[in-house]
Amino acid sequence: MEQLQNKVAELFEKGTISLMIGFQDGMSKGAVPCFVESVEQVKLLIYNSYCKNNLAVYLHKPEVKQAKKVGIFGNVATLRSILQLLSENQFWNIELTVMTINANQEFILFESIAEVEKYVQANFPQLTDEEKELIEKINTMSRQERWEYWKDLFSTCIKCYACRAVCPMCYCPQCTVESNQPQWIKVSAQTSGNMEWHTMRAMHLAGRCINCGECGRICPVGIPVHLLTAKMNLDLSKEFGSKTGYSASNGYALNSFNPNDKEGFIR
Amino acid sequence: MSQFEPKIVAFVCNWCTYAGADLAGTSRAKYATNVRIIRFPCTGRIDFMLLMKAFQNGSDGIIISGCHPNDCHYTSGNFHARRRWMVFRSLIEFMGFDTERITFSWVSAAEGAKWADLVNEVTTKVRELGPFTEFKNLDYNSFNQLDNGAITK
Repeated sequence: MEQLQNKVAELFEKGTISLMIGFQDGMSKGAVPCFVESVEQVKLLIYNSYCKNNLAVYLHKPEVKQAKKVGIFGNVATLRSILQLLSENQFWNIELTVMTINANQEFILFESIAEVEKYVQANFPQLTDEEKELIEKINTMSRQERWEYWKDLFSTCIKCYACRAVCPMCYCPQCTVESNQPQWIKVSAQTSGNMEWHTMRAMHLAGRCINCGECGRICPVGIPVHLLTAKMNLDLSKEFGSKTGYSASNGYALNSFNPNDKEGFIR
Repeated sequence: MSQFEPKIVAFVCNWCTYAGADLAGTSRAKYATNVRIIRFPCTGRIDFMLLMKAFQNGSDGIIISGCHPNDCHYTSGNFHARRRWMVFRSLIEFMGFDTERITFSWVSAAEGAKWADLVNEVTTKVRELGPFTEFKNLDYNSFNQLDNGAITK
């Protein structure tokens, strides 16, 4: 922890960063995101097992982009989001300094994006057993059961769009769900509109989602929405070999094609 | 009671399938009248949200059709579309959506007969499947938990 604070203080003094996104102590137990703007505030920064949020989501905020030189601290999922966003040319106007703490609790400050790539590729995360099990469970259900399963879950959705707000990949200034001419998705939180919303979200994130699981974790009514995008990712990597957040020059599977793509349903 | 007549929406590309449907017409091929054709510049333009919208507005089946691979007027529109459909189809299948109701096909401008056959086949299939009430009933069930029976019309 001290190493983190010292290093960040050093970066501030050198002028490498003018804003640091990290964690500070939250209310009771836990950690909340914090924005450090000067050396004096560096003492706030902490690291513990509660630091799970994907801080990459803040990198799109105009206030953060204004800072130009941004330091960010995060786990592998965060690093993956940063790489994926870099491959989507999102950070052309800010300089990033990335740091992490590895599995042995050692602090790492990356000198370049190439180093981040190397680290992510060496520690490329897989789906958790829990997620795999749930996907497997849903896959083995009959179509009717799957429909009922998702229907029950989606009927509880209150359309708070927390899943969108927390997602580092959802950065469109105007989302399709807010478009009202035409009204693509019903405004009220009815099951059919909810289902459309989640279908749309999963489709727009297919091949871009980096499986951080934030959307499922944040959902106030406990819908495992991250399963949809996780399933998409499994399919995409199987069929097109796409690996999201693997490098800063990743393509986007749905933005490219292969004339030899195999499908069995088009007549 | 009269026989159920399905409403089928066809999203077709301007250059191949629309011309194919035109050919079916000029060659006086007879096919089911249940289909409503919507013309698009290219299959690459057919957004998945349009399919959702069609189901939302009460269509019972959907046909999506365009140029054969390698025949796209814009070189690669149908290749992109194909990838998108592969992903979309596996997603809605995972969500338990009835994928039987969406038919994907390649129909070229010369295949008027294939188009007529396709429409007939899909109409027969959807007629057997019956009205698509699953999607419409979603809201009734969530609003009125006491009304356990499905509203079918």
